[in-house]
Amino acid sequence: MGRDLMFQQEIKDTVQQAYAAITSGGGETVARQLYSEQELAEVPPGAVEWALGVGNPVRYAQLQPGQTVLDVGSGGGIDTILAARRVGPEGHAIGLDALEEMCERGRAHAAQAGVEGWTEFLRGEMEDIPLPGGSVDVAISNGVLNLSARKSRALAEIYRVLGPGGRICMADLTVEGELPPEVANDQSAWAG
Amino acid sequence: MAERVFAGKLERAGFTDVWVGGHRPFGIDQAALYPLFTPEVIQVMRRTIPADHQGHVATGVIVKARKPR
Repeated sequence: MGRDLMFQQEIKDTVQQAYAAITSGGGETVARQLYSEQELAEVPPGAVEWALGVGNPVRYAQLQPGQTVLDVGSGGGIDTILAARRVGPEGHAIGLDALEEMCERGRAHAAQAGVEGWTEFLRGEMEDIPLPGGSVDVAISNGVLNLSARKSRALAEIYRVLGPGGRICMADLTVEGELPPEVANDQSAWAG
Repeated sequence: MAERVFAGKLERAGFTDVWVGGHRPFGIDQAALYPLFTPEVIQVMRRTIPADHQGHVATGVIVKARKPR
């Protein structure tokens, strides 16, 4: 295995181990910074507790009833559930997460929200999305692309699963300039 | 990843109509709310990042783009 591939694998392992180890998300304090009272009332408390995003992509995604929406890196499912509410029962909401325990949380929260009939959670990686090409109208994600060591590959996969005219709406963090090396090289910063 | 790098990756993937907005400062105090940032890395951030930048270490953005028809 080449050095770059080893580094990519190390990042992937570190991120997945970090997410597998946590016992809650950012909770209500984080959620209240990102979502309105009305939006928080649309999701069960468990999904709020597991909020780990950095923005509110559903608010910007202009979802329409009947659309198929993919939430890349769905975590506890807060954005998947909000998206499911927007596309309605004639649509389809799909949460994708690399960790089965996150998918299970998403399924439980979707059932509590009453959207399980048109919402599913798939285990898979954003660099290898287990969906056919052209099967999605809108892809959203929230603080997830930065976790990938192969961001261009992840974007190419999202492009593949979108149909012609399909849209992507992502919340993420950008950094201008350099972080101190002690921060940039800290493995837990990769997962954060 | 810088904002211009993010937009460039989307364009290279084939996306058009790339839009970046919804800018929000993201500081160390906010990072500390997330369990994924360990107390150790938060301490390192507080020690190594200049005080006048600690409230805006990164920027939260919304990025939208479209796959051509």
